[in-house]
Amino acid sequence: MKRKAGPNYNWYGWIFISTAFLLYLIFTIYPAGASLMLAFQGMDGGKYVFTGLNNFKRMLGDTIFLQSLKNTFFYLIIQVPVMLVMALSIATLLNSKVLKWKGFFRTSIFLPCVTSLVAYSILFKMMFSMDGIVNQILIHFGILDAPYQYLQNSGWARAVIIIAMLWRWTGYNVIFYLSALQNIPKETFEAAKVDGANAFYVFFKVTIPQLKPIILLTTIMSTNGTLQLFDETMNITQGGPANSTMTVSHYIYNQSFVYAPNFGYASAISYVVVFIMIILAIIQFGVAGKDN
Amino acid sequence: MKRKSIAIIMAAVLVMSLFVGCGKAKTENSKENSAAGTEAGKTAEEGKTSGEAKTITVWAWDDKFNVAVMKEAAEVYAESNPDANVKIDVVSLSKEDVYVKLQTALAGGGSGIPDIVLLEDYVSGKYLNTFPGDFVDLTDKFDYSQFLPFKVNAVTQNGKVYAVPFDTGATALYYRIDLIEKAGYTEEDMQNLTWDEFIEIGKDVTEKTGVQMIVEIANNKTTLIRSMMQSCGLWYYDMDGNINIKNNEALKAAFETILKMKQAGILFEAESTEGRAGALNSGTVASVVNAPWFISSLRQAEDQKGQWRAARIPRLSQVSSSINASNVGGSSWYVLEKSKVKDDAIAFMQGVWQGNTDFYDTILLNQGAMGSYIPGYATDAYKAEDEFFGGQKLNGLFTEVLPEVIPVNYGGYVAEANDAITTALSNLFEGKTDVNGALEQAEEQLANQLGR
Repeated sequence: MKRKAGPNYNWYGWIFISTAFLLYLIFTIYPAGASLMLAFQGMDGGKYVFTGLNNFKRMLGDTIFLQSLKNTFFYLIIQVPVMLVMALSIATLLNSKVLKWKGFFRTSIFLPCVTSLVAYSILFKMMFSMDGIVNQILIHFGILDAPYQYLQNSGWARAVIIIAMLWRWTGYNVIFYLSALQNIPKETFEAAKVDGANAFYVFFKVTIPQLKPIILLTTIMSTNGTLQLFDETMNITQGGPANSTMTVSHYIYNQSFVYAPNFGYASAISYVVVFIMIILAIIQFGVAGKDN
Repeated sequence: MKRKSIAIIMAAVLVMSLFVGCGKAKTENSKENSAAGTEAGKTAEEGKTSGEAKTITVWAWDDKFNVAVMKEAAEVYAESNPDANVKIDVVSLSKEDVYVKLQTALAGGGSGIPDIVLLEDYVSGKYLNTFPGDFVDLTDKFDYSQFLPFKVNAVTQNGKVYAVPFDTGATALYYRIDLIEKAGYTEEDMQNLTWDEFIEIGKDVTEKTGVQMIVEIANNKTTLIRSMMQSCGLWYYDMDGNINIKNNEALKAAFETILKMKQAGILFEAESTEGRAGALNSGTVASVVNAPWFISSLRQAEDQKGQWRAARIPRLSQVSSSINASNVGGSSWYVLEKSKVKDDAIAFMQGVWQGNTDFYDTILLNQGAMGSYIPGYATDAYKAEDEFFGGQKLNGLFTEVLPEVIPVNYGGYVAEANDAITTALSNLFEGKTDVNGALEQAEEQLANQLGR
């Protein structure tokens, strides 16, 4: 039976995936290839002409691009580790046997993830505005005398963006850790306890090693997410003050739609981001070890 | 055998659904593009009987303002030209969508474009430079001497005029007369000021009433900067399109003035456009410099009725060419070259926007829109008194200011220049640099952006 149907079913298989593959080809492969071509082109009198590596050379001297790259890495270095440590701690707490109302806490932690990016960005902008709730609380308790303009100070503006992202994305990672924690075989904990390990030791020597693949996954996902950061800076600060919160994605948008359109240069920047992502992923895989 | 046939049927259904999906998308697409000259649209159009009306698609972005004005124009045209046999379809989008959709459609070869589109004068150069040949040269189609010179100049490139000028951003100083009087000044004192005199009045107002004198948006202070700059007949670019920032005396004076306002404590830095309107409506700020369309934001505070006045904007005493008149923004109508109904679109624009002063009266009364058509200004509609401004003849003020506005070359890169100026001002306000340093920084950033 298997032999009889074999070659035919193989053929059907191709038909079945053809829909998805065709769509993938048209909407993913083709645009990716076309934008790679575009990255080597520049605008000349309304037409795109091949300009070689000009776009990439221009990037090296483009102060706003370099600033936006620096800002993006700033978010990456501060926000991703803080968020993942927070997520892991919360997941461990939620996984605890003694905790009551688990469903309620789990829902509350995950709820921010279903809000729209634009909506929550505007919410944070309002919270940190002159007459926002943050200023009101600080003034009420006598910590501040007059409302402070957080979004006009480069340091604070960055802090607000990081706080907003922590609120929005921590719960998302908690879900990953929670499901991974529940998949760890209970025998390993019992064995460790029998051997006399304390809770601290169990966490670092038994739990963490078994979470390694999922930690790697969340790290790569968060890194990619941060490198593509756009909605938050666009809505909270518009990249200001003095470009201090501008991200690379935001700058790509500006180059395409705010400034005189330069899709060639914008594509070139996108490919630099892709390149950085690949490098970071390779490093992360290397650090996590090949067995994963 | 049975299983095999089921499998084949399922596979066939799946593949069919794919084509059906495609086909549907295509018909929808051609419907959207029927006026835009795609092949699909062409065949669909040819299939129609000659008695059917042609559709002129217009893109604009404000339901209460330019969209409503164009709908009014469509009605006027239908009445005065019953045999024109066109249907005017005004599509309301957000401004960002108009720009992004137009830009992608033109970059993609022109499918899905409208027939007429509204663009701000500040982006005029950008579109004309980036898409040469995509906009119709209207030089011979209109008598441009009848339109405001600075508006015509804004849509002219290489001696050719590419648009029908619509509204202007003629600037006025809107101020609260009750607060000014509390500080010991009169309406008379607010006429034809210099910015230095304005700052002195502002200090008294802030001191005596506790209200800050003037508002500007913190992350984008360019409204004030731009109005000060054009009051001197200068701009980010000179008439040849070269960057003119470092040695621009108007910009230097504008930077000094705005810094002086900040140091005197009379400048309220709002966080957003909403924050700016909110500060004015709640009475936290006594004045604002802006365009005619800003009046509708002021009117939101009904309890302040009669307390507002408008005056000519102050001038920069440091610059000899500075006058008490300027402009921030404004927009114009463009006809697209690849439009299938190009000639009908041009005829429609000629029929309504030129020679028809009744139409200009209607849009002034109904939408508060002040056109750029000079003969339109002579009518009675411009002599109306405005109760919100204590019976002042507000439109009369603008018709006085408008012909004086000095034409400048906005160039193709206004957004880039605004960003460079905003960055430099932020650094200046944070004390990281002085006025000259900030200007040098801005010039450097802009030159870098433009690859010069």
